[in-house]
Amino acid sequence: MDYRAQLKLQAFLDRELSEAEAKEVAAWLSRDQEAAALAAELRHTHEALAGLETGVSLPESREFFWSKIERDIHRAEAPAPLPRPAGLTFIGRLRRLLVPASAVALVALAGLVVTRQEGSSRLPGDVETALSDPGAFTYRDYNAGTTLVWLSYPAENELAGEDEASTVE
Amino acid sequence: MAAFEELVARHRDKVYARAYSMMRNEEEAIDLSQEAWVKGWQRLRQFQGESSFGTWMTRIIINLCLDQLRKQKRQRTESIEAMDEESGGVERQMPVVTVNPTAGLERQELRGRIDRALGQLSYEHRTALVLHEFEQMEYKEIAKTMGCSIGTVMSRLFYARRKLAALLADLKKQD
Repeated sequence: MDYRAQLKLQAFLDRELSEAEAKEVAAWLSRDQEAAALAAELRHTHEALAGLETGVSLPESREFFWSKIERDIHRAEAPAPLPRPAGLTFIGRLRRLLVPASAVALVALAGLVVTRQEGSSRLPGDVETALSDPGAFTYRDYNAGTTLVWLSYPAENELAGEDEASTVE
Repeated sequence: MAAFEELVARHRDKVYARAYSMMRNEEEAIDLSQEAWVKGWQRLRQFQGESSFGTWMTRIIINLCLDQLRKQKRQRTESIEAMDEESGGVERQMPVVTVNPTAGLERQELRGRIDRALGQLSYEHRTALVLHEFEQMEYKEIAKTMGCSIGTVMSRLFYARRKLAALLADLKKQD
């Protein structure tokens, strides 16, 4: 029996053939044992499946199953969250400004630290004491281009009795 | 909503049974049934009453199960056996099972054996069989639902039935 004949036999059992074709197959079945055996096997399978789903029930209580459906329905019907505006939010704009400002501030701070360190590595000026005159001190500030002379007593050419210190630039 | 809840209560077992027959997995069948009911609610306006509400819901669950099965198939490698089945040839060499392998079995035992045998079929063969045997669909209708030709439906049905008979006969021999 070829494959086409087997499928035709199945179609006959499934009532998918025209009346004329069905008559033809019925006649063939009555005289062919091999075809009859195959038909019997197909009928047994059909009978075994009949009523298989009878009594199958969903293994959850009515209330519980419905509560899940109801929740999903409400979730699906809830309005979708509003899309974010195309422009930046206030925080976004602030962040955009703060990032470069922070970078500039950092650079400035680093520069200041370096400058101060360099400045502290050398003296801002010199202090001199003249051996010939221990009452006079000279201070030179190279950065400011300034010289200060400190006199701790009245000079000889100054008026006697004036004993307070004076500063001359 | 209360009326819909009543419809769910009335048809939930049928919808679940269809999902279980196709998926062979209780958890998946429950999840898909739930999804089918949500879809049913959303498409309620499309229900024209051309068929019964139960039949309409069954179509929804069948389509959901088919989508899920196709997704699962894409995710796993096809076996050589499955490719052979699809090409239609293995069933021609199977010897005919001459005795009824389910004769004398109690309903519960028969159900267990058929369940195991159905689980061994590929989803295409099982679905063709389920749609024909449980939904009483004609070849043309099965072809439309599964997106294949009538010839493919006939091949799938033939293979599924012959394989099922062979599996049931094997189970009987093991006793």
